Amino acid sequence: MPTPAQQQAQQISQRIPGEKSSLPALALLLGWLIPGAGHLLLGKWVRALLLFISIFGMYLIGLALLGKIYSPNTGDILDILGFAGQLGLGLLFAFAHWFGWGATSAVNTLADYGTKFLVVGGLLNLIAAVDAHSLANGRKAS
Amino acid sequence: MLSHFSAVLLFSLFASVVFGITQRAEPKMMVRFGAYCFVLFVASVIVASWVMFAIKH
Repeated sequence: MPTPAQQQAQQISQRIPGEKSSLPALALLLGWLIPGAGHLLLGKWVRALLLFISIFGMYLIGLALLGKIYSPNTGDILDILGFAGQLGLGLLFAFAHWFGWGATSAVNTLADYGTKFLVVGGLLNLIAAVDAHSLANGRKAS
Repeated sequence: MLSHFSAVLLFSLFASVVFGITQRAEPKMMVRFGAYCFVLFVASVIVASWVMFAIKH
């Protein structure tokens, strides 16, 4: 007769069947680096395509509106928060940083909107990557 | 170049798609939740715009 603690452990292991494999971590990492790649890895290609279009679209609009690409070392707390948000874009942020895309400061209202597109795009990509992780380890049903 | 309102519509659309996919498990519920978020986004912007207009005038 299993104890309540054993029953609970069994329920958790049934709910999270893939927890011990490397698939959840890989889905999280890929999903962060490339928008939608975590879902593509799990065979959810329609969701992957929609996520990629949405997040890449926000990224392109943000750059087209001359949104600001944040740096981590300005000492301003708001800049550090903006950098943390944009870091969620993964490789897209790295490309913008390396190739000097975007602007170093928002010069008008639309550029400020562009900055928000870039930050929110990064945060949405993080949500999508965590969703892929939850799908891979069984926390999310389908 | 985008107008302010078209920027709002695109922002709402893209954010709603991601919210719909990530916050619900069934495709039908994803569409419903995404549409709900989109309507809330746009309605909130319109209400906030009129409030700012009323404050200014």
